[in-house]
Amino acid sequence: MAGVKEAITIAQAKVEVTGWREAIRASCQPLVGSGAIEERYAERCIEIVEEQGPYIVVAPGIALAHARPENGVKRLCLSVTTLNEPVEFGHPENDPVDLVFAFGSPDSEQHIGLLQTLAERLQEGLARRLREAQTSKELDSLMRAVANAVKKEPGCQG
Amino acid sequence: MTKKGHLKEPLKVMTICGVGMGSSLILRSTAEKALRQLGVDAEVAHEDVSSARSVDADVIIGQALHTEEFENAAPVVVTISDFTDVDALANKLRAPLKEQGWLV
Repeated sequence: MAGVKEAITIAQAKVEVTGWREAIRASCQPLVGSGAIEERYAERCIEIVEEQGPYIVVAPGIALAHARPENGVKRLCLSVTTLNEPVEFGHPENDPVDLVFAFGSPDSEQHIGLLQTLAERLQEGLARRLREAQTSKELDSLMRAVANAVKKEPGCQG
Repeated sequence: MTKKGHLKEPLKVMTICGVGMGSSLILRSTAEKALRQLGVDAEVAHEDVSSARSVDADVIIGQALHTEEFENAAPVVVTISDFTDVDALANKLRAPLKEQGWLV
């Protein structure tokens, strides 16, 4: 069992987009820029919603954009983007979305600790604090706190 | 497959989503907490919908989009729209688990 590899985390506050596809692209773009994912990953994230519906909208106002490791992931990564204006994903209950996470994992295990920690923080009200952040710097420190918490917790395997 | 009555072994719970990596994993964490809150001994796994079709479970949890096709695939199928709300999920699980005799 390998330890938790350091994840690339990126935060961007108050981004301007005109629709859900653009929101997904915007959430993936800095991860492409940092070399964690390939450009095609964002397009696959969009296709998954087109094929399967907007189930990635996992809570009111919150989307979790992701595809599979083989869709172009090089390193474990997680981005958070708050939107200036919320967008509709077509979800019957959780629209509109103003908080978009994107993550990529190079295999089916590396992201588990990170996502579990994110889930726990969301259960405890992290979304409210993220929405209140006015700058990318504030958002970034909130996300770093999530990523740092992973290292202290033992990886939960299967 | 159905374990009617008092539980002798942990309940097999499955959270589902399209890819089986992200959304269902978030929901798994929430389900584990909700079941703990209810005092139900359970093992929770997360799956994508296509793998889920071939897995036996006592309880399946997911979004309406996915649970519709699983309506008769498990004794208890629960639909939830907020994957991060532990209390809401515990409330939704309470009645059907009681009905099965898995919760007193």
